[in-house]
Amino acid sequence: MKERETGKYIVQLQDVSKTFGSNEHTTTAVRNASLLASSEEFIVLFGPSGSGKTTLLTLIAGLVKSTSGTISLFNRPIEDYSSLELQQMRATRIGFIFQTFLLIDSLRVMENITLVLRFAGKNKKAAQRRTCRLLQRLKIDHLAEKFPKTLSQGEKQRVAVARALANKPDLIIADEPTGSLETRQGFDIIRSLNAYSKAQKSCVIIASHDMRMADHADRILHLRDGVLL
Amino acid sequence: MNMYSIRILTNQPLRLTLTVGGVALCILLMFFLLSVYRGVADGSVEYIRQNKVDLWVLQCNASNILRGSSLLSTAHGYVIRQIPDVQSASAVLLSLSAIKKDNQVATVYLAGYNPETGHGGPPHLVEGRSVLNDNEIVIDKSFASKFRFKLGDSIQIQDDTLQIVGISAGTNAFVIQYAFVTLKRAQSLIGFPNIVTCYLVKVKQGKDISKVSAEIRAEVPGLEVFDHATFLQNNIHEMQSGFLPFIYTIAAIGIIVLTAILSLLLSVNILERRKDFAVLKIIGSPKRFLSGLIIKQAIMISFLGSMVALILFFPVVALIEIICPEVSTKSSAEHIVIVVSIAVMMSLISSFISMQRIRRIFPLEVFS
Repeated sequence: MKERETGKYIVQLQDVSKTFGSNEHTTTAVRNASLLASSEEFIVLFGPSGSGKTTLLTLIAGLVKSTSGTISLFNRPIEDYSSLELQQMRATRIGFIFQTFLLIDSLRVMENITLVLRFAGKNKKAAQRRTCRLLQRLKIDHLAEKFPKTLSQGEKQRVAVARALANKPDLIIADEPTGSLETRQGFDIIRSLNAYSKAQKSCVIIASHDMRMADHADRILHLRDGVLL
Repeated sequence: MNMYSIRILTNQPLRLTLTVGGVALCILLMFFLLSVYRGVADGSVEYIRQNKVDLWVLQCNASNILRGSSLLSTAHGYVIRQIPDVQSASAVLLSLSAIKKDNQVATVYLAGYNPETGHGGPPHLVEGRSVLNDNEIVIDKSFASKFRFKLGDSIQIQDDTLQIVGISAGTNAFVIQYAFVTLKRAQSLIGFPNIVTCYLVKVKQGKDISKVSAEIRAEVPGLEVFDHATFLQNNIHEMQSGFLPFIYTIAAIGIIVLTAILSLLLSVNILERRKDFAVLKIIGSPKRFLSGLIIKQAIMISFLGSMVALILFFPVVALIEIICPEVSTKSSAEHIVIVVSIAVMMSLISSFISMQRIRRIFPLEVFS
């Protein structure tokens, strides 16, 4: 516990609540959630639809402000970050994966990935080199010049994973990453993320309602009606 | 990421084409208005500019010949000519007259002048020669083109028949065109043989123009005497005060339409890519990247619009001049720079208007 308090955690949530709406029409999506997540941890957050999983992820990523409680990212309270620092942190230290992949359709696969590297401050050539290496490592280099629209669901998610891993993030946040995939494709993605987490000493937090993911998790959390069990 | 901006635009080719077309038409309108203004501005005062005399003498309170009337008697001319430093004082009579040919009737600004001095005559002749006798007339080129008059044709003014002996240029004042006859003929047409509009005075070589001007005022109290530059400026000012508000109004409408078209397209592009923008925000896009995307699109559209407008401009102007010969235009590289600068400025304003939409896109929108 001492170690935890000295701040070696990537994510720290303490009694965090998030309420939407005002006056009588309020909905509490997350209630008094506390969580400590360290590097190399592969955390799976289970819960039915509407349980508050996505809200919790967005709170962790600093995309929404909590109604109460404290959130610290990389050992610093999130409210201490300026909006510019939050943007830079998301560009350099956090990778995102979405259920529907959300690749930029107007950009080729290569460009989708170099974009995040450019946001992180890499120059064009360095970004392209890094992207090529990453695509080769993930065995999707043959997709580099394709547009996302021409890819299968599985290919899209592998590209989305590549985009999330591009900047070697310390934290990966994934919202239902296997939700649109077949079982085998889903496992491939989970294995990739797990391997990355161990190799890069990164923390991965996945929100899912797919119970089969439990086999790969270091820690399993359940969220019901906004309460972290 | 210029490529991203280009792909956003080219993703909807029809919409891009329509937008570029709309922007091009607005720019074309601005080009056209500017060149019409220049054409009218020059055409209206070219007659005065080219009649390089030292002094213009008019009736009291008359400051120009475009929108003012001046009536002087021939006796004034006699007095002016007696001033020792005056070399010549050429009378000019300007009046509106109806010209008839067959069944056509048209109005001209008839200038009666003394062919011997040539002062007050046509500034440029593109065909034929100046009038030599009272039965001849020189008409404006666009007027001749509009009514299909040519050299040698006979036309009627009131009950007199005159032969066209020359075609002049620089005599198209847009709403009316100049025609030139002898002073005597002009006076007989209005029925007052001793009336003139103004005197064009040449001062003897080496003599002080302002001193002569003062002497004219002293000899004939109540006359207005202007040096050439002042009189030219008076007429330019008069032309501008009558014409510029009209030009400004239409140009302003063109600019507003251009801004509206651009803002609309950029806003639609943003709304269609709402999720993309939200994702970009989540993955750490700097604000300048998002705003840069919008600005680049706006600049690209206004650049394409400017190119299309430039390509269309000369054929369109040629066509208009065939249909309406009295519309005279003058364009220059300066005009192109002015209009393209306005288009770029408006595209930046459109970008800033559209960027407000990006602010209202929230990252949470992309989460399932």
